[in-house]
Amino acid sequence: MKNILDRNQNKANEVRDLLISKKVLMVNIISSPGAGKTTLLEHTCEELGNKFRIGVIEGDITTDRDAQRLKKYNIPIVVINTEGGCHLDSHSISKVLDSFDLDKLDILFVENVGNLICPSQFDLGETFKLAIVSTTEGDDKPAKYPMLFREAAAVLLNKIDLIPYTNFNYESFRSDLGKINSMIPLFQISCTMGDGMEEWYEWISKKMKD
Amino acid sequence: MHEISIAADLSSIVLETAGIEKLSKVTKVNISLGQMVQIVPDIFEFAFREAVKDTIAHGAAVDIEIVEVRMKCRECGVDFTVNENNFTCNKCGSTDLEIIHGKELFIKSIEGE
Repeated sequence: MKNILDRNQNKANEVRDLLISKKVLMVNIISSPGAGKTTLLEHTCEELGNKFRIGVIEGDITTDRDAQRLKKYNIPIVVINTEGGCHLDSHSISKVLDSFDLDKLDILFVENVGNLICPSQFDLGETFKLAIVSTTEGDDKPAKYPMLFREAAAVLLNKIDLIPYTNFNYESFRSDLGKINSMIPLFQISCTMGDGMEEWYEWISKKMKD
Repeated sequence: MHEISIAADLSSIVLETAGIEKLSKVTKVNISLGQMVQIVPDIFEFAFREAVKDTIAHGAAVDIEIVEVRMKCRECGVDFTVNENNFTCNKCGSTDLEIIHGKELFIKSIEGE
């Protein structure tokens, strides 16, 4: 028996060991395109940038547009363009870690390529995965993509202010998520309107102190 | 589409193993694929065939055994097969479960001559 993903797993283990030795928390953010990963990072940098030393790895198929949006926070950012690839892997992360001074970081957010399937398969060496779902995508995402919701440490349900304009059924979403991972913390937020963001800041701050 | 990069890793392992075992031809690769692993078997197989073109594994058969999702309940200890992503113990109703099968992505064996 040989694990086909050994090559990725071995490098992920190296990355994890390095980050533990440097006391850096790495959060692998996974969502569909447009769920609000970059907007979450904008608000998180704004709110927590003076309390914690934040770094970001931006994974995108092409362009540095997301990185441009975060430039104003004056934090170290590295862009990985996958040139068509649908996910980041541990080797691509390992290569760019040299660009950061890990002794001067508390948290490294990795914004994975927008996609609910492929990124869930690849361990990057992260401390934990964070799933973001937005209400405009529909309430069936946990049922359709169980792997991500089983493995993530928390779920952020974004764009809750838009629920009245969609057919999103919160009870159905909560019930599906509960069947897959009953223990998982769920935050109902609106990055743009600010709803629920305090709870998210509190949770992630606590993770950094742990 | 991640099937392509995983198939590339598979082809590297197959060819490396064939080299160690001094095979002149790889005829079959037997794989275990857990149901929770989000890989489409047909695309995976196609990508592997493409990856090993012009190598000693060209034309090798690929046998993919799908492994169903099994969980063990941390409350009552029973283990059971999960249906339709309902990760709830079918004996005591607990949701505190450990995955024991369903995440496999293994090469079971490589056949050749």
